[in-house]
Amino acid sequence: MSLVVAGAVVRRGAFTLNAEFEAPAQGITVVFGPSGAGKSMLLSMVAGLHKLEAGKVSLGGRVLEDVAARERVPAHRRGIGLVFQDARLFPHLTVRGNLLYAERRRPADRNTPIIDDVAEQLDIVGLLDRAVKNLSGGEKSRVALARAILSAPELLLLDEPFAALDGKRRRAFLAMLRDVSARVSLPMMVVTHQIEDAAELADHVVALKDGRVIAHGTASGVMRRQEFVALLDRRDLGSRIDSSAVAGGKAGGVWVRADSVILATEPPKGLSARNVWPGHIASIHTEDDGSKLVSLATEAGYISSRITPEALAELGLKEGAQVWAVVKTHSL
Amino acid sequence: MLSAEEWRILGTSLGVAGRAVIFSLPIAIAFAYALSRPRFPGKPVLDVVAHLPLVLPPVLIGYLLLQGFGRRSAIGGWLENEFGAKLAFTAEGAALATAVMAFPLMVRAIRLSFEAADGGLFEAASVLRAGPWDRFLSIALPLAWPGVLAGAVTAFAAGLGEFGAVITFAGSKAGETETLPLAIYAALQVPGKEALALRLASISLLAAVAGLVAAELIQRWARRRLEA
Repeated sequence: MSLVVAGAVVRRGAFTLNAEFEAPAQGITVVFGPSGAGKSMLLSMVAGLHKLEAGKVSLGGRVLEDVAARERVPAHRRGIGLVFQDARLFPHLTVRGNLLYAERRRPADRNTPIIDDVAEQLDIVGLLDRAVKNLSGGEKSRVALARAILSAPELLLLDEPFAALDGKRRRAFLAMLRDVSARVSLPMMVVTHQIEDAAELADHVVALKDGRVIAHGTASGVMRRQEFVALLDRRDLGSRIDSSAVAGGKAGGVWVRADSVILATEPPKGLSARNVWPGHIASIHTEDDGSKLVSLATEAGYISSRITPEALAELGLKEGAQVWAVVKTHSL
Repeated sequence: MLSAEEWRILGTSLGVAGRAVIFSLPIAIAFAYALSRPRFPGKPVLDVVAHLPLVLPPVLIGYLLLQGFGRRSAIGGWLENEFGAKLAFTAEGAALATAVMAFPLMVRAIRLSFEAADGGLFEAASVLRAGPWDRFLSIALPLAWPGVLAGAVTAFAAGLGEFGAVITFAGSKAGETETLPLAIYAALQVPGKEALALRLASISLLAAVAGLVAAELIQRWARRRLEA
């Protein structure tokens, strides 16, 4: 089963989104791109909140919208959930009322999951009888996610649902998303502009820039592509590594910034860093300001390290040379 | 405190205004909801129709009702032959005339509260599988009901005082269509009834002020309840 978007055009004001991609409807697909790239619009389009001007969208072979054939399934019949950035809980209902709203409207043949389980999993049991206006930003996000899960959609879209959360809570929310997606086998499509979030969540990636899909495919494949890397801020440059290669790592991936990687020409000893990867230098690139971006081929995949020209000269690093990449677990 | 005559007149007024609100509320809600939606064909026409009683002379409304629902008109005759229902010069007729006059007031108040609802909530409801009717009943109406109530109360208070349309279409029969303003007018025509006119005017004023205060209190209470 997969989501197929073919030649889709959506317009709002002066902005036009042209989308063409295919994403498997399983695991987590991250929609990545800078602000204003059209990420939210892409989700609205798939959910049916935005009409196509041209093109076609289908999910698992079922046509959701086909402009040429004048077919359009309205949002409420698509079976696609959407968690909005601003939660959009119904203010005239309690938290439980919001959850029941979703539960009562799902088709009988998708009669799972149940409120108590989801509430426990998302840690909102204590909030069930509260009024929506008395919730914090993080609580609202969790209730909105619970409500969407209880509607038992075939595909769940999330528009930066963790934007309101800070560091620690954000990481917990991301971990929970992965957990939920796997446990209730609910395919998700998550919008983010944060590279760490993208690396952590993504099985697949759809990368957007200026209203166009510039790359799509598996996370490990797309995230090292030239056009993907070009989307990143200079200080975000780095590489995605499978979590399984990292000490204490879980599922998903981690983003290793080039600035947090130290190079050694000998196997390091007596280091507190837990992650040391041997590898060979694949390429050395000089940046505009003279910094050297060294790309290593290691067993964990490609890793980049940004070092000064002086360090490069001192260590005598050349393409093909053997080096060890050292990364502090904390920065993973 | 009030004489039997005054009770009768107040009772007639309350009955006429009450029935007027009950009959026109569902239609006013439908108009208000339609007008709160983004552009659709025929919206300007609907808007004009809803506001017409506000600008037409009340006597003209009464005259048009006589033409439409009088005994010799097509609809009036049919109603009387089929159902034995008479509108012209009856309490029901007074309620109909009052309903028409109060209609724009109700539509405006209700429309404002429909428009105040966050459109994002409707999108949220539709991705939870709620269709258009479902969204109206489960989101739009519950969020707007304080406005609906306030509109109804305002219309009721205004309806207590409707004069021109009522006297033209329903006349002024004691105990049936003689409402507060008609009785005040009648009392003013008779020498020595100034005291009665003054007392009726006071009742009318109190009822109108009470209605406006009630509407305002409902709105405030609703705002506190829904605002984060």
